[in-house]
Amino acid sequence: MPLNIDIQQILLHMLNFVILFAVLYFVLYKPVKKFMDKRDEDFNEKNDRANRTMEEADSAKSAYEEKLSGIEDEIKSLREDARKKGVEEADAIREQARREADEILEDARRKAEQAKTAAVRSADNQIRALAEQAAEKLVIESTAQAYENFIETVNRPAPEEEENGE
Amino acid sequence: MSRKRKLVSAGIFAVLIVLLIAGIILTGNPGAEKEPIKEVMRDAVLHGTGKVSLFGLIDVNPGLISAYAVSGALIVFAVLVRIFAVPRFKPAPGKFQYVLEKCVGLFSSLAEGNSPHRPGFIGGYIFAAGVYIFASTIFELFGVQAVTTSGGSISLPAPLADINGAIAMGFFSYGVILFGGLICSGPKGMLKALKDFSLPLSMSFRLFGALLSGALVTELVYYYALTSYVLPVVVGVLFTLLHALIQAYVLTMLVSIFYGESTEPSHKKEKRKKQ
Repeated sequence: MPLNIDIQQILLHMLNFVILFAVLYFVLYKPVKKFMDKRDEDFNEKNDRANRTMEEADSAKSAYEEKLSGIEDEIKSLREDARKKGVEEADAIREQARREADEILEDARRKAEQAKTAAVRSADNQIRALAEQAAEKLVIESTAQAYENFIETVNRPAPEEEENGE
Repeated sequence: MSRKRKLVSAGIFAVLIVLLIAGIILTGNPGAEKEPIKEVMRDAVLHGTGKVSLFGLIDVNPGLISAYAVSGALIVFAVLVRIFAVPRFKPAPGKFQYVLEKCVGLFSSLAEGNSPHRPGFIGGYIFAAGVYIFASTIFELFGVQAVTTSGGSISLPAPLADINGAIAMGFFSYGVILFGGLICSGPKGMLKALKDFSLPLSMSFRLFGALLSGALVTELVYYYALTSYVLPVVVGVLFTLLHALIQAYVLTMLVSIFYGESTEPSHKKEKRKKQ
């Protein structure tokens, strides 16, 4: 054959390459490729999981923020309610206090009136008693004075006796 | 290093170089005297005289012995890697695992890019072909010696520098494309591959020519004593490395492209609905 081409040697070369190809394919290429594919799958799975977790976190965050803004509104309305309630309660307390103060004042006024009346009455009685006493005393004193004057007059010696006695 | 030691080292090197030059001169220039350059070149291409016995059965070109040596080494390497390295692979690869994954990934992505319909098989095929072409071309650099049938010694060439090796590789690759098309897309796929009937010849002779040119240039450089110093480092090593990379890439690329074409599913033309 020209160029020293030999069919037998070509076939021998082919046989050599077929064996080499089979060994390299099954012993080296496939296991390494399988390992790489599995690792890629794992990475993709982890990546997907991370993305899913990220999405979940984002949605949770937005829901939380939404809820937070709702809570702020709720807090605002609650605060408003509480303020209104507080104002109403304060008004009620103030009203109650005023009513109680009025009652106390009324009571005090009534008691003072009663005390004044009682005092006036007592003073009248006392004055009356004093006047009675004074009148009685005056009567008694005038009577007694007159008796004593009488007694004294009676008991007083005559002026001649006084001179004799000296 | 002291001055004295430097002088001693330089002296040793100088003596060694002088001895080597003397040896080269004394042994003569066998190529120039015994065999003319034409004969050397012709023998490098055709291997008419430098046959090697294959297990004492038949006389073959030294390229076939190189092919078996390379395949043996690759098979041992693959088995060792499968037994000791692959089970210890980690998700974060080490240096060796990284290189291996890069190699597999390179051919796998080449197959997926050029033959997206059936990338599994062709990925493995071009991996094996690429590794074989690269390793067998690099093999030339080791200068492994073999004994010829005439009793002389011969430096084993790259297996694909042997025309039989290149033809085997080219035709086998064409067969893969042809039968891949037949299996995946039926007779239409096979016909697509048959249209490119010149493909096996072009692939074979491209490989053969590229690798042989490197071998011839190296032979030429080594033939003359004057050019056989320093220059072979550049010519031999760099040419061989470049050939190894370029040829591995070219053949695997071509095979994956043509395989992709032949295995492409045929799209049936949609019939226009009658209105």
